[in-house]
Amino acid sequence: MNMIASMPLSQSELHSDPGAAVSVRNLTRSFGGPAILDQITFSIAPGEFVALLGRSGSGKSTLLRTLAGLDPAPPETLTVPAARAVVFQEPRLLPWKRVWKNVALGLRMPDAKAKALDALAEVELQHRVEAWPLTLSGGEAQRAALARALVREPKLLLLDEPFASLDALTRMRMQALVASLWQAHKPAVLLVTHDVDEALLLADRVLVLIEGKIGIDTQIPLDRPRHASDPGFSTLRTKLLASLGVQG
Amino acid sequence: MSGFALQRSASGLPAVTTAKAKGRGSWNQRLRRAYVPLGILAIWQAGYALGWIPSQSVPPPSAIALAAWQLAITGQLADNILVSLERVAIGLGIGVAAGTVMALIAGLSRLGEDSIDPTLQMLRTLPHLALIPLMIMWFGIGETPKLTLIALGSLFPIYLNLFAGIRGADRKLREAANTLGLSPLETIINVVLPAALPNFLTGLRQAFGIAWITLVVAEQINASAGIGYLVMNARDFLRTDIIFVGLSIYAILGLLTDQSVRLLETTLLAWRPSFLKDATR
Ligand SMILES: Nc1ncnc2c1ncn2[C@@H]1O[C@H](COP(=O)(O)OP(=O)(O)OP(=O)(O)O)[C@@H](O)[C@H]1O
Ligand SMILES: [Mg+2]
Repeated sequence: MNMIASMPLSQSELHSDPGAAVSVRNLTRSFGGPAILDQITFSIAPGEFVALLGRSGSGKSTLLRTLAGLDPAPPETLTVPAARAVVFQEPRLLPWKRVWKNVALGLRMPDAKAKALDALAEVELQHRVEAWPLTLSGGEAQRAALARALVREPKLLLLDEPFASLDALTRMRMQALVASLWQAHKPAVLLVTHDVDEALLLADRVLVLIEGKIGIDTQIPLDRPRHASDPGFSTLRTKLLASLGVQG
Repeated sequence: MSGFALQRSASGLPAVTTAKAKGRGSWNQRLRRAYVPLGILAIWQAGYALGWIPSQSVPPPSAIALAAWQLAITGQLADNILVSLERVAIGLGIGVAAGTVMALIAGLSRLGEDSIDPTLQMLRTLPHLALIPLMIMWFGIGETPKLTLIALGSLFPIYLNLFAGIRGADRKLREAANTLGLSPLETIINVVLPAALPNFLTGLRQAFGIAWITLVVAEQINASAGIGYLVMNARDFLRTDIIFVGLSIYAILGLLTDQSVRLLETTLLAWRPSFLKDATR
């Protein structure tokens, strides 16, 4: 694993400790051809916000799906918390269930409805709880999907390009929402994104998937709340963009 | 008209208002749909009055109405309609139940698919009405062959549509259900079956159509009661007016059952954008 020089090495040792929320050891995955994920090893600390960058087709979704339990993996390569939740690029709400029922789906507790309504209020959807999902706007639907994930109080929140299909303004609002929800609930987060700025705004740490390996693993030592005009932002940005093959 | 359109956009959901919803919206428009059929009836009646149409081959609407009235007051009309309705209800009930069970077995398991699907795919190419001679040889000319034919005819549309619906259930939604911790059975109940419901209702509508056609044919072969019996009997007495009464009843019953499936669709599929006409709650 080659790291950006500024990154303290002790950090990576810390990630292999047994207290980590996620730990991946020598995970390999291929679909018949060359390995998409090639002996990947990394871990995520409890409450840590990690962004995963990489070119299209580099295996980001494959890695996230493996962590979500949607793709198979040998058990010895993976330690993940049982309480996980996923938000995909599309909201994936069941169109035949009202919004709050979508959020409460699979909650096994007596006051599931109250919890669902609370979660919807947290994402500012209290006025749409009885709506049919297909009547929601793209941003609203994605907020409902976020509420559905958060209501499960996940120890690990997996986000696969959750803002990619939203317009720029809605995306900015959603990013702020995710930042505040993360600060309130402190799950470990793995955010897959194409957007370097998004990663720098939200994440404690950025991983870049290059040719099946974690090519870059770097801390983002910027104070929060962050802004693209912060000093240091553009240096990190240029560095990450270069690793993705783009001249910043 | 424009006031009506404005009112709709004010409801906040103009985007999901479909052409269909608009087309059935106001009384004015509903009435407009009746103009042509009523006009045809008027010309028909007038053609008879002017002597253009020979009344023994095509009786005028007034004579058909009179024949219907006479059959109604003697109670024959209701009795025979009930007999026919009962045949459709029982035959369709058996066919829909069997088709549903088979589609669930084949749709929800590969083993089930391999055991059931090839046979049904072969059988479905055989027009079920071609079985009439066999049915008569096996079951005689009572109720059994009629019910069997109706059941057979309605089984296939249910099976084919529901099977396709179950298999077509969005894999992404099933994955989402998986990440929410739903068990396989819960996923079937919450995701797969609701996803297949629109297909099932399409199948049900087709099954109704086939059931009526089968009824018509089956009743004409041999029956001592039912609308078909009424018609065949009228033929023997050269009562074209009663034949027309029978035809109208078939048409009305077919229309009514189609409308009831539509109603079922608007109720059960209320979540679909095309049915989301007014407010969302
Ligand atoms: N089920 C599958 N069968 C075969 N190949 C697959 C399958 N899933 C993914 N792949 C392949 O694995 C590679 C990585 O896919 P993945 O979806 O993880 O990429 P990604 O990094 O998420 O890309 P993007 O940024 O475009 O979403 C791709 O080449 C893809 O074609
Ligand atoms: Mg992807």
